[in-house]
Amino acid sequence: MKDLYEKMPRHSAVQPDSFDEILAWLNPDRELAAKLYVQLRHDLTKIFTWNRCLDPEGLTDEVFDRVAKKVHQLMHTYEGDPRLFFYGVARNLIKEIPKRMKTQVSLEGSDFAATPTHKAEDEKAILREDCLQLCLQELSEEKRELILAYYAKEKQAKIDHRTEMAQRLGTSVETLRVRAHRIRGGLEQCIERCIKSRSSAE
Amino acid sequence: MSENPITEVKMRQFLLGTLDDIERQQIETLFITDPSSRERLLAAEQDLIEDYLEGSLTTADRESFLLHYADTPEQLQKLRITQTVREWAIKKGTAADRPIATTTIWNRLRDILQGRPVFVVPLAVTAIILIVIAAVWVNRRTERNHLQVGSEEIARLNDPASLRQTPPLMSIVVLSPLSVRSAEKEAEVAKPATGSLVELRLLWLQKEDYPKYQAVVRRVGSDESQTVPALYSDADRSAIRMRLPAHFLRRGTYLVELSGIDARGTVGPTEEYKFIVSG
Repeated sequence: MKDLYEKMPRHSAVQPDSFDEILAWLNPDRELAAKLYVQLRHDLTKIFTWNRCLDPEGLTDEVFDRVAKKVHQLMHTYEGDPRLFFYGVARNLIKEIPKRMKTQVSLEGSDFAATPTHKAEDEKAILREDCLQLCLQELSEEKRELILAYYAKEKQAKIDHRTEMAQRLGTSVETLRVRAHRIRGGLEQCIERCIKSRSSAE
Repeated sequence: MSENPITEVKMRQFLLGTLDDIERQQIETLFITDPSSRERLLAAEQDLIEDYLEGSLTTADRESFLLHYADTPEQLQKLRITQTVREWAIKKGTAADRPIATTTIWNRLRDILQGRPVFVVPLAVTAIILIVIAAVWVNRRTERNHLQVGSEEIARLNDPASLRQTPPLMSIVVLSPLSVRSAEKEAEVAKPATGSLVELRLLWLQKEDYPKYQAVVRRVGSDESQTVPALYSDADRSAIRMRLPAHFLRRGTYLVELSGIDARGTVGPTEEYKFIVSG
């Protein structure tokens, strides 16, 4: 029970009772509901990001705050997938905040792939590589080999290589792509945490 | 899975922000409610990022990309991390591709046989190759026999008549799909006692139910793989039941790919599950 409350957003105004009701509304099985809740938060944040909204996480909190105020009634009256109601609220927010959306971005200096590196950036690159090596060690051998093999080639060679990999693993390229995406997602989160902890320690 | 899956082109247009509002919202709705569309969209986003990092986007796409993916310090940080992973993997890949120049078994063998009569070399090499082939063949044959015997037994255990009975020595393990349990600890199954069964309840979170399901069970790190062609959902249709005999399970990690099969025999969406057999 305590673990579930830890999933609540830190700055949210959602009361524990309403949070319980949100979970119950998402799914009667509390454990599954908690997973759906975490995924829904991630997905809404992603949608705000794709719509180029500033502060996607804050807006996701706002969605849950708004739904929390109505959830007691909604869980008895709303028909259909509750996640669509959350999405509807998110859509309204996107429409409400056009001023907070960036309409233009300067390409100067932001195209980092084409920008020459400087000393500070070199140091950050070394830190990223250190963290990558640490995080790769945290992966199982199977995952580590899969992710390194998946990204080992570029352009046309990459396409052929991944087709071969999929055949060797007895799966489709699509499934392999999804599997690599999941491993890489976890790896990136680990690297982000590592960079943050090392930067704050300095 | 959605009845009209999103095309790769539409996904890329969506990610680059060049899709109209109606289509955008259709994709966002699928992203929220359909696990398979969600996974595909997130994977397509990765492909887009890779294409950018490889420099293979058109100028217009590159500009749209930067507007959407290099707009904030957090996004730039993410891009740099992806770049680091790629560069590291490419570096490792290049090293692995390089031919090994010294101290191979072949070199050592050649050194040993140097100065001997000419026919010794081909004979020795042929003998080594034959030994290796024989070892691989024996090993594969043993595994194949094990699987063949297993497949008939597993099919029998999972037919509807058998599923109605509850054997005394059976443990039940509920598994969530990997798509909703990425941050969770992997499910562990204690090695069952000889003669007992394990029933895996594979939670099915796709929108549609199917009359039949098919599973491919693979033991990670080996060639062992078992297709179970006919599986059925439980009474409330929330999970698919798969019974496996104890002797089928060995210590290690198993991956299960579960697909729905419609009335025409067409394979539908797939969910993946993972569990570890310990003890």
